[in-house]
Amino acid sequence: MNTIALVGNPNSGKTTLFNALTGSNQRVGNWPGVTVEKKEGNFKFNDVVYNVVDLPGTYSLGSFSEDEIVARNYILKGHPNVVINVVDATNIERNLYLTTQLLEMGAKVVIALNMIDEANTKNIKVDIKTLSQKLGTPVIPTVASKRKGIDKLIDEAVELINKDIDYKANISYGENIDKEIKSLKGLLSKKNLDYPHQWIAIKLLEGDEYIYQMLNENDTLKNQIGNYELEIIDKRYEFINNISNLTVKLPEDNKETLTDKIDKIITNKFLGLPIFALIMFAVFELTFVIGEDLLGGIIGTGIEILGENLEQLLIYLSSPIWLVSFFTDGVISGLGAVVEFIPLILVLYMLMGFLEDSGYMARAAYVMDNIMKALGLQGKTFISMIIGFGCNVPGVMATRTLEDKRDRMIAILINPFMSCGARIPIYLLFISAFFPNNGGLVLFSLYSLGIIVALLVAKIFSKTLFKGEPSYFIMELPPYRLPTPRNVLRNMWDNVSEFLKRAGTTILIVVTMLWILAILPMGVEPYSQNSLLGGIGTFIAPIFEPAGFGTWEASVGLFSGIAAKEAVVAILGMIYAGVEDGVQLTQAIQTAFTPLSAVSFMIMTLLYTPCAATLGTIKKETNSYKWTIFSAVYSFVIGWIMAVLVFQIGSLLGFS
Amino acid sequence: MLKEILKEIKDKKYISKANIASKLNTNENVIEQAFYQLARMGYIEENNMNSCNYKCSSCSFASLCNKVPINTIIITKKGEKLLNK
Repeated sequence: MNTIALVGNPNSGKTTLFNALTGSNQRVGNWPGVTVEKKEGNFKFNDVVYNVVDLPGTYSLGSFSEDEIVARNYILKGHPNVVINVVDATNIERNLYLTTQLLEMGAKVVIALNMIDEANTKNIKVDIKTLSQKLGTPVIPTVASKRKGIDKLIDEAVELINKDIDYKANISYGENIDKEIKSLKGLLSKKNLDYPHQWIAIKLLEGDEYIYQMLNENDTLKNQIGNYELEIIDKRYEFINNISNLTVKLPEDNKETLTDKIDKIITNKFLGLPIFALIMFAVFELTFVIGEDLLGGIIGTGIEILGENLEQLLIYLSSPIWLVSFFTDGVISGLGAVVEFIPLILVLYMLMGFLEDSGYMARAAYVMDNIMKALGLQGKTFISMIIGFGCNVPGVMATRTLEDKRDRMIAILINPFMSCGARIPIYLLFISAFFPNNGGLVLFSLYSLGIIVALLVAKIFSKTLFKGEPSYFIMELPPYRLPTPRNVLRNMWDNVSEFLKRAGTTILIVVTMLWILAILPMGVEPYSQNSLLGGIGTFIAPIFEPAGFGTWEASVGLFSGIAAKEAVVAILGMIYAGVEDGVQLTQAIQTAFTPLSAVSFMIMTLLYTPCAATLGTIKKETNSYKWTIFSAVYSFVIGWIMAVLVFQIGSLLGFS
Repeated sequence: MLKEILKEIKDKKYISKANIASKLNTNENVIEQAFYQLARMGYIEENNMNSCNYKCSSCSFASLCNKVPINTIIITKKGEKLLNK
């Protein structure tokens, strides 16, 4: 029976073509000795049955994967009567690399130029006649999914089977290599080999280990021959380029030129950083304009109504006072204080998603990379820092891609200074209480401060604890693209759903535990300084006296933030709502803090000890309790020093 | 072409496959394939910052992680040697 082999790049539509050719006449098994799936089928044409073998999808026919070896061995040893090479018409140049290798093998090849309809839609023009002439093989345009061109393809394949032609690729590898091939062919002609001598000679010059082993050749021959892998691959590309320049016309892509033009400004040595700062400032300003002015109050009002109705329902059901208190003062006031800021968080992540999807964040990383290099730091660290803006846990995990241990330790230790999403409700609470008209500026300043402190600390570490030279790398900047609503909304939803999930789990547990501490011992006035919670806060409070927020409430809030940062607002919400019913949390905050102490408190929350999940990840990544404890303590000290400095200098300057 | 690409990587402050393609009078798909070949032969090392060895599907923090991979490239010693030839 005549056999047709199907070969092509992954996603070239090879399997669709196989199905179109064979219909339901298929058998699935495995190639002998490997776990690669073997699919065979057959079809009848002019009363003759043809066997079709679907070879694994592969980009080349080297010996680097099982798929490649299976495909090339079948073509060479299985002796199919003809090979149908499925080429993706929308990506011809890339697919032709495999074609070139097939031609080198001397196989009888028919090209199925598949997905030609998509190429037309994308305005890719292919001169099929010239392409066929240059390659020396028939080229048939097909749309396998619509069965278009299949009959013509079968016609050509069958015609080729019946032709007695010795195919030879018309590729020159340069004078030297061509000479080497010729001389090797002479040597090989004395051996009885299954494979074409020309092809084996090329493979030997490419240093193909599989062929050396097959020939039982030792290193002496290898050393004699030398390795021309790079030159041979280069020549294949030259061959492909020459053909594609003649036969493929891509649409004028102005986007790349535009990307170039934009990048010249955005990544400029002097303008890059101010533009980055300006964009981030605009993002934070817009967050407040859209999130607060347009959407603000929606959730807050909803929570208020829910709280009132729940309280009435519990009273109506004659629930014990402690249960009413737990739900209204604990859960609703605590969690409500966190959830209230969802509109702002939604908008912030929508805007951040827009920047990510447009390709700008890669430029931001590049701009910061330059600054980090100037400071003698590993620029790649900033990429993990950008991830840390979402959450410090993946930020710390992303440092795994830093090869150097020194770079990695620095990146891990500074990542928690990146202001994660969980800290946003704290800033938003204090901004709404003290700086409602400058929210964007305050948020921008806090994020910037986090970056500046991280850079300074990294510089200190690189000169003290982790000395060495930073490794060098080059960053790839993807072309700009118009953000898709789907990606932007997905980014927004991912972040907000995670936020809500944490509110319903971690924060709820923390609130419940601290609520118990706030009502014990029995008989004490709940949420008062005399409660267990008040006792803990009173014990810690003197530490924060020089920073201007030495109250037991603030101290307990910060303490709970080590469990999870969102808990700070939840606890403040619970304590202040419990102290005085009907008082809005922002009003209570205005009484307990001054604008200056609010600033120092926000700086403390930005810089102090990372949350438990981040500390756990640091332990896992460093495999060291020593560095985990160090991370917890040194960041607390830095946060405290910065908060004290801001408060004391601010007081001296007459701010209150 | 491969050596020219390597030189482009070395000389430039950042990599833009579109730029390299335009400079070498080819298209981005070929450059993409050439990068793959250079990495396979050990002249460069490609590194995707999202490749933290965890499968996103089994990571509870995946939704908070970077959605857009940022690729970085290092020219290996073998690559440097080729450039100095």
